[in-house]
Amino acid sequence: MDSANSDSPRSRRQPGGPRASRKHTPKVNTKGLYQKALWQAFVKLDPRVELKNPVMFVVWLGTIITALMTINPNLFGPTPGDNLRVFNGLITVVLFLTVVFANFAEAVAEGRGKAQADALRSTKSETTARKVMPDGSVQSVSSTDLRRGDRIRVVAGDIIPADGEVLEGVASVDESAITGESAPVLKEPGSDVASSVTGGTRIRSDELLIRVTSDPGKGFIDRMIALVEGAERAKTPNEIALTVLLAVLTLIFLIVVATLPTIAYYVVGSSVSVALLISLLVALIPTTIGALLSAIGIAGMDRVAQFNVIATSGRAVEACGDIGTLVLDKTGTITLGNRLAEEFIPVNGHSLEEMARVALAASVFDQTPEGRSIVRLTEEQGAKVDFDTSKAEGIEFSAKTRMSGTHLPDGGEVRKGAVDAIKGFVRSRGGQLTPELDTAFERVSRLGGTPLAVCQDRELYGVIYLKDIVKPGIRERFDQLRRMGVRTVMLTGDNQITASVIAEEAGVDDFIAEATPEDKIEVIQSEQAQGKLVAMTGDGTNDAPALAQADVGVAMNSGTQAAKEAANMVDLDSDPTKLIDIVTIGKQLLITRGALTTFSIANDIAKYFAIIPAMFATAGIGSLNVMGLASAQSAVLSALIYNALIIPALIPLALTGVKFRPLTANELLQRNILIYGLGGVVIPFIAIKLIDLVVAAVGLA
Amino acid sequence: MFQGLIQIALTLVIVVILTPILGSYIARVFLPKRTLLDPVMAPIEKGLYALGGVRTQEEMNGWQYARAVLYSNIAMGVLIFFILMNQEWLPLNPTGLSAPTWDTVLHTTISFITNTNQQHYSGETTMSYFSQMAALGYHMFTSAATGLAVGIAFIRGLTGRPLGNFYVDLIRSITRILLPISIVGAVLLIILGVPETLAGPEIVTTLDGATQAIARGPVAHFEIIKQLGENGGGFFAINSAHPFENPNPATNLLETVAMVCIPTALIVTYGIFASNKKQGWLLFGMVFVIFLVLIGITAFGEYQGNPLVNSLLGGQQPQPNLEGKEVRFGWAQSSLWAVTTTATMCGAINSLHDSFMPPGGFSTLFNMFLQIIWGGQGTGTAYLFIFLILSVFATGLMVGRTPEFLGRKIEKREIGLASVVLLVHPIIVLIPSAITLAFPETLSGISNPGFHGLSQVVYEYTSAAANNGSGFEGLGDSQPLPTGLWWNLSASVSLLAGRYIPIAALLLLADGMARKQPVPETSGTLRTDTFLFTGVTAGVILILGVLTFFPVLALGPVAEAFQLASGQ
Amino acid sequence: MKLADLPNGTLPVKLPESTFFLLTSQWRKRPLPLQLFLLLCLNLVTAPVVQAASGGELSRDNAYALGLLGLVTLGLCVYLFVVIFQPERF
Repeated sequence: MDSANSDSPRSRRQPGGPRASRKHTPKVNTKGLYQKALWQAFVKLDPRVELKNPVMFVVWLGTIITALMTINPNLFGPTPGDNLRVFNGLITVVLFLTVVFANFAEAVAEGRGKAQADALRSTKSETTARKVMPDGSVQSVSSTDLRRGDRIRVVAGDIIPADGEVLEGVASVDESAITGESAPVLKEPGSDVASSVTGGTRIRSDELLIRVTSDPGKGFIDRMIALVEGAERAKTPNEIALTVLLAVLTLIFLIVVATLPTIAYYVVGSSVSVALLISLLVALIPTTIGALLSAIGIAGMDRVAQFNVIATSGRAVEACGDIGTLVLDKTGTITLGNRLAEEFIPVNGHSLEEMARVALAASVFDQTPEGRSIVRLTEEQGAKVDFDTSKAEGIEFSAKTRMSGTHLPDGGEVRKGAVDAIKGFVRSRGGQLTPELDTAFERVSRLGGTPLAVCQDRELYGVIYLKDIVKPGIRERFDQLRRMGVRTVMLTGDNQITASVIAEEAGVDDFIAEATPEDKIEVIQSEQAQGKLVAMTGDGTNDAPALAQADVGVAMNSGTQAAKEAANMVDLDSDPTKLIDIVTIGKQLLITRGALTTFSIANDIAKYFAIIPAMFATAGIGSLNVMGLASAQSAVLSALIYNALIIPALIPLALTGVKFRPLTANELLQRNILIYGLGGVVIPFIAIKLIDLVVAAVGLA
Repeated sequence: MFQGLIQIALTLVIVVILTPILGSYIARVFLPKRTLLDPVMAPIEKGLYALGGVRTQEEMNGWQYARAVLYSNIAMGVLIFFILMNQEWLPLNPTGLSAPTWDTVLHTTISFITNTNQQHYSGETTMSYFSQMAALGYHMFTSAATGLAVGIAFIRGLTGRPLGNFYVDLIRSITRILLPISIVGAVLLIILGVPETLAGPEIVTTLDGATQAIARGPVAHFEIIKQLGENGGGFFAINSAHPFENPNPATNLLETVAMVCIPTALIVTYGIFASNKKQGWLLFGMVFVIFLVLIGITAFGEYQGNPLVNSLLGGQQPQPNLEGKEVRFGWAQSSLWAVTTTATMCGAINSLHDSFMPPGGFSTLFNMFLQIIWGGQGTGTAYLFIFLILSVFATGLMVGRTPEFLGRKIEKREIGLASVVLLVHPIIVLIPSAITLAFPETLSGISNPGFHGLSQVVYEYTSAAANNGSGFEGLGDSQPLPTGLWWNLSASVSLLAGRYIPIAALLLLADGMARKQPVPETSGTLRTDTFLFTGVTAGVILILGVLTFFPVLALGPVAEAFQLASGQ
Repeated sequence: MKLADLPNGTLPVKLPESTFFLLTSQWRKRPLPLQLFLLLCLNLVTAPVVQAASGGELSRDNAYALGLLGLVTLGLCVYLFVVIFQPERF
């Protein structure tokens, strides 16, 4: 049972404010984003770039062929029709725009990623570092020349040149550049949570000796920059599978269209214009999702970055959507880090007032949240300080004594602390113990709280019930997770009784009490053996194996270097509950892809009904023109214009992602199939009709 | 009209009643559990295993299973080719028939080993009794059993079991399912008047004094396996329209039920294998609804009759279209049969599909484009799950998880293999159709030019690719017509590609699925056994299947329908 | 038949072996121009076939254009098959 007080620096900051307002971090400069993206959209017309996107490559080739047909409409043999040159020209323009829009979508996503990356990079400008040579001398080198294992010295005012681990010294470091949190953090060697520093942060006071832990360009920030810029983005497994499906659909429609001329020639007796065939092909292949697929992926990474999380691979973010089990530490994740006084339990026949007075006396100098909460509770009981505080002396908590208190001006000693420690204190002063104390101790444990004993000299006064506060709203979040099919497991060092009470209160599905680091790995492995993907958060060195074992390991930025290396994500805010947000982003990523794929395929029905009757008007299937489009040419043009315009229309959706709601899978499917499936069937009918009205009115065709 | 609808309804009710009985029986055979036939068949099977050196305990992986299918089919194909080429010298040839041309034999061989039974010849004037029984009849069992074995192996893999042993599955399919039902069915057919004799044709003198040879032969046993195994290759040229193959409405009912009962039952068998009967029945329901709609469209078209003919007749009541139909079956049973035979990939006909009104042409083509409205023996059920997997992938992403089917993730490999199945069909239907239609005079020998001619050509290749085997007819597709060679060879390519490429893909897919670590189901898992998801699947099937062939349908039956409606 | 299989005597110009090395090395370095060149060469064979098949309806230019279009379509099919079976490369 640990004590109320804690002597370690409060390295785990409590992020303030509502979650939404924390989507901050480095200010992203979006000025000129769209101009740059527009330029990029044309640069990406390079065939080698287009070749990477099978669907758009087909459109790109089609554009070239229709362009040739604009110059010579009879290139592929005599073609019937009037104004063919104008018509082919219009088709060429629309197809060209389709390709450009697709490139633009990708460029915007990349541009936003780049802006994000630039903001990250600005924290990492080149600096000079004091490198400590093996012989002890100090040499000035550029930060880009630092290698893993080098030792550097940083003093107050310096920017820390690279990720590293503190070897010597104690100093406060301002990490606001990457976390946005203004309060400086204490860094010192040895301690699990405070010994790692991140490149780009600024040291405020004192000096540190640091061992560099990453080669240049390999640090977390560098990896994140590469990821959000999208240039070297490796496709995620899911994206690859989707690419296969899109290529298959493209191939099927290519075969359908390529075999159509002879079949149609046999029936209709006149040849079909190649430009029309290309229009049909482009309308049928899934251009919408093909154009937006990479933008969705890049934007997903970007959203992760906006949440102040550094992911080392897109695969990890995508895996978040599949998480089946969440393994969470109790402290700081499920409960607030600090416990609050809830109740006084007097013993030895003392009254509540007496006990409150002693507890107040023991806590006046205690500035920890626990101490302050005791003071608050005693004041509620009406207790007052009845001695001159300027003459009294506060006794700080130490891990050795496990208690704290006050030397009163009259020579009296009041103490509060772990029950065992106070028992020892009283016994050493010749006082008597009472079985009442043990009863109170047990009662508090059973309530899920931490018991603190209070005494003055040899007299025991009672037990303070420190309550572990479950974070407000955490229960609802676990409920949401449960609906999404994610099981939560709480790990805690508390005893069985306390753990079960907290687990009950927080609404987790399972808990492991008196957990050791080995238990964590065991829990993860047993869940994985059932085929589940497991996510966990951790910060200590002894969490590292578990972080590595988990499918998604999120390390706290305040954690040790070992933990960060083992994890595949690092949360710069060191907020363990953020895992829930990352799960949401992962799911959103998949949902957006699925929704746009469904939409894209569903659109084909309307496009068929627009183009086929127009193409084979002479075959007497004019009745299939259910939309009543003005003319054959305007029908084809309208379908193509719709096809092109839907891409920029959906760019915002691709970038922000389909809104995720914590519903069960079936509810989600029902909702999304209604919007994107049914909507995908109906919307193009209306849109094509409207475009047709405009096209006919303008007199384009 | 009322009477016709009752005939259709009665047949369907019998099918629905039989489905769960046969479905659970098939599941018992392959799980395997004890069945009634054990005492009779177990020793026979044991003997066969010993004879063939089959190690029954040996489980095969996907490649091994596919190789076993291929090798055994090649061996059987060589046998059938040899018999047909040499039928002149072989026994039971009362009419002294010589061997058909090599390309006819090749096409027939391929057509029978692929369970298609597309016939570019007239049975009674081309094949000896020995060829009919030893070469063709024998393959009706083995090719159907091959399909059934593959279907069962696929279901096993999908539900996380090892695929099993092909030879064991093949033998059990015959001994436990095809043979017993065939024996009962053949006896029933004989009772109902179907001949079963080795005597040569009966020579009779007609009333006006001419002599006529009436072909007959060992028809009854051939007929029942033709229907039950979804083979469809008739003993006589006009198949089940011939009065010796299908003499009366009672035999017609028996034969209709026989051709549809195994594919319907297999969906229920899947439900038992997956321990999810609900899903089995939902899928059954989905297919049944599409099936009903198609029967409705076809029957309505036939009942309404041809407007051009009706306007000539000038009667008040529209006359049903009876061209190319047997009057003993009428429009209703002919429509039901036509839809059933193309849906189940049986391919037997009791009326000429060429003479159907455009809605009938549409429905029959539609069935063979999709291949899953019941579908072929074993393979049809497997294709159904291919569509299910594709639906799970496309829509499953929308619940925010990597799509899973039966707790197994659908990833790149699965999509790739499912795509192969999806891709093969349009390639081997549309490309040869396009080539043939590019040179209509030299290659096709179309009898009705125009929209109908297009349907004829596309139908022939679709029938081959889907391993259906029915003919729209009206094509110059048999020797010694000049276009016979082209049809024999090009259809052979579609037959082979349409059978073995998907089978290999199915087995590999099932094998991969079986080896995957299953993911436990949570509330975040997309349930595939709901009304909603089944509806979504139906949408995906219609969109993917129909969109691929929409232009052909629009230019074929749809254009023809508009043409008729406009009264030209 | 592969070009390399031809006996040297049948070719009007004797190609030194280094030409093939040059070609193969160029293929690796800059595949696109070479592929386009081969496409045009192949079309020399395809185009007359197309023209013959059309029964004289098409002019020579049309036939060449159509032949090229057919080859491009075929190439596109091959490309899509590659995407389907090796999606990681894209």
